[in-house]
Amino acid sequence: MRRCLRPLAARAGAAAGLLLCATQAHAHSAAKGIGDFYAGALHPLTSLEHVLPFLAFGILAGQQGQKAEPALVAFTFSLSLLAGATLSLWIPGSPWVSVANLASSVVFGALVALARPLPGPLFFAIAVGFGLTHGFANGEGMAEGGRPYLFFPGVALAGLVVTAYGLITTDWLQRKDVGWVRIALRVAGSWIAAIGILVLAVSGRTLFTT
Amino acid sequence: MHAYQTIRRGAALALLLAWPLMAWAHIGQGDIGGGFLAGVSHPVFGLDHVVAMVAVGIWGAQLGAPAIWALPVTFPLVMAFGGVLGGLGVPIPGIEIGIAVSALVLGGMILFAARPPLWVAAVIVGIFAIFHGYAHGAELPESANAISYAVGFVVATGTLHALGILIGVLNRWRRGAQALRAGGALIAACGIYFLSGHLLG
Repeated sequence: MRRCLRPLAARAGAAAGLLLCATQAHAHSAAKGIGDFYAGALHPLTSLEHVLPFLAFGILAGQQGQKAEPALVAFTFSLSLLAGATLSLWIPGSPWVSVANLASSVVFGALVALARPLPGPLFFAIAVGFGLTHGFANGEGMAEGGRPYLFFPGVALAGLVVTAYGLITTDWLQRKDVGWVRIALRVAGSWIAAIGILVLAVSGRTLFTT
Repeated sequence: MHAYQTIRRGAALALLLAWPLMAWAHIGQGDIGGGFLAGVSHPVFGLDHVVAMVAVGIWGAQLGAPAIWALPVTFPLVMAFGGVLGGLGVPIPGIEIGIAVSALVLGGMILFAARPPLWVAAVIVGIFAIFHGYAHGAELPESANAISYAVGFVVATGTLHALGILIGVLNRWRRGAQALRAGGALIAACGIYFLSGHLLG
């Protein structure tokens, strides 16, 4: 009995600890004190504008099956994030970057909803293109005095982790061979695309009226 | 033994205590919680939306495959299109009347267990999706956080569909199918009630 309870207590304690961490993580100001690498990793994770398309991209990669080398595409996306963040050091920001990021929700989500195999080059092209814009936006978000060589890899790692989770979960679900699982994934894509369309409309209006 | 129980209770207590903290923490960062709740509550607290969304799910279940699968995938996208029109302030007259009519028509379809060709059903549902999306989208720009509002509102709508599809499982049994059709009559009656509210008052 004792032996059973000990790991259980440890797990509950760990879970409580994690939840307490989340409290700090959600407030951007607190992220300053935890080091530039973790600040970089948290930056995309605390914004739905990034998390939703990352997730949709992971599901899309998972839908492609083994033939499309989904893991390679996920790493390409992560490296594009790193490259985009690096570009933000020299290139001035633009509101269109945010528009492109919202558009990525629509593109990735709609492709997940369609659930058709993508031609390899097209898949790589959107991975690189939107990886650059997401990386750029996150690179710009680094606080004054942050160390880019820590912050940017944090961003890239967060992107890799979220897409990998999406990819692995999708792959695992599809292996279950249950009819509604594929539909549920397509519905998730449709929701993400719908969210992107709505927010794009609002930000488009702000862009054109100001 | 006692020590572990104490640890477990302590951990549970810590979890409970951490919960409200998490909720509060959101407010500092662009009001994610507030926007999300506004987005969820907008479709859920308007009875006219709830009735129509659930009706879409039930009708889809009556129609069976492939409609039941095409519906939850395409509806959010069409509704988002309506939301864009609303968010951009494109004037469409009679939105509220269109929403009331949607409950009346969808209720009628369920009552008569109507089975039009797939594209006819898609057009009917699509037009209503635009009306519903428009009504939600019109409130989108005023929201504190547009993206969390959109997440809440898409999730709430999708969950209402799922509820309708779940209720539609009744269709497999003869008595259940009869109960569904009776429910359709109720939905149509709701539609008439909403409509009378807009036309008379």
